[in-house]
Amino acid sequence: MAGTGETKVLHEYRQAMTVLGKSLRLRHESILLLILAAEWLFFAAAGRNFTTLDNTFNILRHSVEIGLLALAMTAVVLTGGIDLSVGSLLGLCAVLFGTFWRDAHLPVWAAMLLTLGAGAAAGGFNGTLIAWLRLPPLIVTLGTFSLFRGLAEAMTRGVDTFTDFPASFLFLGQERWLGLPAQAPIFVCFAGAMWLLVHCTTFGRSLRAIGFSPEGARYAGIPVRSRVVAVYLLAGLTAAMAAIIYTARLGQAKADAGVGYELFAITGVVLGGVSIFGGVGSVHGTLLGVAAIAVLNNGLAHVRQPREVAGMLTGLLLLLALSGSEFLKRLATRRDRCQPSPAATEKA
Amino acid sequence: MKAYSREVSVALTLGGLLLGLAIFAPSFYQAQPLLSLAAREAPTLVAACGMALVILCRQIDISIGAQFSVCSVCAGLLAGAHWPIPLVLSASITIGASLGALNGSLVAGLGLPSIVVTLATMVTWREGLRWLRQGIWVDLPEGFQWFGLRQSAGQWTIIILALTVLVLLALFMKHLAAGRFIYAVGSDAEAARLAGIRPRRITFAVFVFAGALVGLAAMMNVAQSPQVDPNSGTGLELKTIAAVVVGGVAISGGRGNLWGVFAGLLLLACLGPALTHLHVQAYWEKAIQGSVILLAVVADGGHRRNQGSP
Amino acid sequence: MNRILTSFVFAGLAILAGCGKSADSSTGSGQAVLGPGAKKITIAFLPKSKGNAYFISCMKGADRAARELGVELIFDGPTDPDPARQNEIVENWITLGVDAIAAACENREGISTALRKARAKGIKVITYDADALPDVREFFVNQATPQGIGYALMDEAARLCQSEGEFAVIIGSLTAANQVEWRKYVEERRAAQYPKMIMVAVRPCDDLKDKAQSEATTLLSTYPNLKLFLSTTSLGVPSAAEAVKQAGKAGRVKVIGLGLPSENRRYVKEGVTDSVILWKTEDLGYLAVQAAFAAASGALKPGDKTFKAGRLGEFQIQGDNIMLGKPFIFNKDNIDQFDF
Repeated sequence: MAGTGETKVLHEYRQAMTVLGKSLRLRHESILLLILAAEWLFFAAAGRNFTTLDNTFNILRHSVEIGLLALAMTAVVLTGGIDLSVGSLLGLCAVLFGTFWRDAHLPVWAAMLLTLGAGAAAGGFNGTLIAWLRLPPLIVTLGTFSLFRGLAEAMTRGVDTFTDFPASFLFLGQERWLGLPAQAPIFVCFAGAMWLLVHCTTFGRSLRAIGFSPEGARYAGIPVRSRVVAVYLLAGLTAAMAAIIYTARLGQAKADAGVGYELFAITGVVLGGVSIFGGVGSVHGTLLGVAAIAVLNNGLAHVRQPREVAGMLTGLLLLLALSGSEFLKRLATRRDRCQPSPAATEKA
Repeated sequence: MKAYSREVSVALTLGGLLLGLAIFAPSFYQAQPLLSLAAREAPTLVAACGMALVILCRQIDISIGAQFSVCSVCAGLLAGAHWPIPLVLSASITIGASLGALNGSLVAGLGLPSIVVTLATMVTWREGLRWLRQGIWVDLPEGFQWFGLRQSAGQWTIIILALTVLVLLALFMKHLAAGRFIYAVGSDAEAARLAGIRPRRITFAVFVFAGALVGLAAMMNVAQSPQVDPNSGTGLELKTIAAVVVGGVAISGGRGNLWGVFAGLLLLACLGPALTHLHVQAYWEKAIQGSVILLAVVADGGHRRNQGSP
Repeated sequence: MNRILTSFVFAGLAILAGCGKSADSSTGSGQAVLGPGAKKITIAFLPKSKGNAYFISCMKGADRAARELGVELIFDGPTDPDPARQNEIVENWITLGVDAIAAACENREGISTALRKARAKGIKVITYDADALPDVREFFVNQATPQGIGYALMDEAARLCQSEGEFAVIIGSLTAANQVEWRKYVEERRAAQYPKMIMVAVRPCDDLKDKAQSEATTLLSTYPNLKLFLSTTSLGVPSAAEAVKQAGKAGRVKVIGLGLPSENRRYVKEGVTDSVILWKTEDLGYLAVQAAFAAASGALKPGDKTFKAGRLGEFQIQGDNIMLGKPFIFNKDNIDQFDF
């Protein structure tokens, strides 16, 4: 049960958000929804076979790993932090999973559990450095970005590949279960759990408070350190889960799995309206952001555009979405004629 | 001296590494390879100075790698069109500055977070360059390499150029008002604004300047071989941010100086060749590099706590 | 209000998706060609990665074949090294409904997952440059086996060093599957035939020219008795050559490797690089597309012993490998005849 201090800080926070225009955040997600719908309609008209069920499942299957990372990243970014190491951790966990299964001869489920544990431990390592030693998240995760990838390469000497997984395991990434891709229920459950965690629990609300003002949250009695360690631990756990699904989808595990995934995840998160400074954002926004990027990438392939164009348009989309959101925020603030709270002042 | 204690500790670590190499791998100390190494890393030093300014201003620029690639390819193409070297140099700097100006206008003008803006511009330019060039190398004309000088003269020119930039910038940051303004904006933009400094202008100018430095660095790199690789900027942002952070510049801005960045860059640049000379297998390199960054950050955190600053 | 809007849009999208499926089910992917002029055949050409001059030249050959045959050619490939990208591209092509895929496989087992699905949908699969698992493709256009390439590299290295001395290897990246294989065969040949040649170091260059040059410079100073650089990545050869040249050791330290004539012409002419080994990459692309077309139209079937590929003439088929020929050695005498 939350203490009185915690409730008061959160109450004031809510008031401040209302002044800023809570509707602004919702407006960002509405815009995103319109963008998504516009993309879909455009590609349905211009592309060939874009709206088939097969393709929709493809979009889903291709974006599960990045979606998982983006969801975990949402919680991290809400606290005002960032985790650049999730892609490298995915690679490390994939290699660990392969090692547990092939070299330690463990059954698949045991290897999975150990991998999840390892991912959580790595995430906890990040979180401890950030929360207990008060180090900047950007740099700590930049260091672990190299370290985790380096450990994966060292373990395999770069060259080792793990393959020939049992068919029952590959089912997870490649086959259909009750008509949907097998990883879909996992993703939906995880997304649902994440949504509940961030939006309906005091844990989730405390994350926003920490992002909004770590000192204020601490004075209000929120156990900031353990919450921060918890979100990074969750990010690590999610990276491990994503690694398992990735390995099942591909049928092989290598040290370079997940290269560049952290940037895709951050792009999805930011596109979804989560403020990189912390305190503002939602899980459904992130999901919409990831969906918008996934549909864009897939749709462009169906109108025969090369992948570079998809990359460029993703970058432009991000800029447009951010600029548009900022313009609306300025308009709303001017319209409300309210004194903007300190959080609104640019941190330039 | 206490004010420089962080930089001194980096320098001591570097000294330790060099000493270790002298004992265990004396083959490291040969004139020509060291000269080549210094000339190779000189462009990175110039780019790292630009990144240091951006970080001191409490921003970040992860698009400098893409900027570097774009400037390199443009310089190469212009050289191929037989433009004279000084014009190619000015063009490269101008292009870098314009790319920086785009970043700066979005960050300072619209108040968007720099990490996201530069992420978006990085992706756009990188993919755009790939789309246009398809990874094909640009051949440079004869007489362009080393700015038309002999190899050793060219290498020394590049090294001295980089060191000049470093020294001038370090003095600028310490003694000129504009330099102090950067520190002020990085420490507390609101207080700086109330003191009469204009944070948005400073931020914009810093991005433009960093872009110009990247253009210069690109030119320095292009002059070192007869072909330009469009992927040459890959990983530059990681290298420069690591050098800046290891060198004691705070990622939250307002603290640190360029001498530390110099020491940090030397440390990280020597790490790769040191591992080769010590016969360490190549697949350990990333893990060791990551550990060095983490150690530097932990040391930084511990140092700050001892000094009692927040 | 917003929640209602959200659920409405999601419901709408779901309905659209469902409708789309039933509307398009009559034009499923991989339908057989009805006859000349009925529908243009689409062939999808997958390189290992984009932005790679080697695959650009393969593409030129592929383009020529496509124009001669009157087929539509789609060229797309991964722009980042993540292994999953090739799979995603292939899966998009499956839904797009291409008739044949010609693929250079970065990860043998990984991409086989996607190619298997393509085959199940009736799409013909040809591999070139690097093979997938044999059960997922009709034929593999073999320019030279990894063994052939590895042995040729080692033989050439030994020839230049009189079968003894130290040499260093520069590779593109630690994880690239083909480079791993080539290195394996180089080592195999060395151990079997040239035990007096010592491989002192293997350094990756992350597919960056500048890094390759730095690594080469460092290796030159670490191993003063180094006699030769061997590079399995095409950008390693000119970079090592430049490093040797800048160190003033041109002629004393030899440079060989896999490389494109265009990137190495300068150094071969100057005598810094002795020779580069490759094959006619344009012909490889041409042959791959010809084979893909023939497979899609039924002209090429499993069990065929020869294959006639347009202008290039007849090629031998060994089992399920269409043999392009042997690796070709480009040196001072012949490098001017090629422009790729």
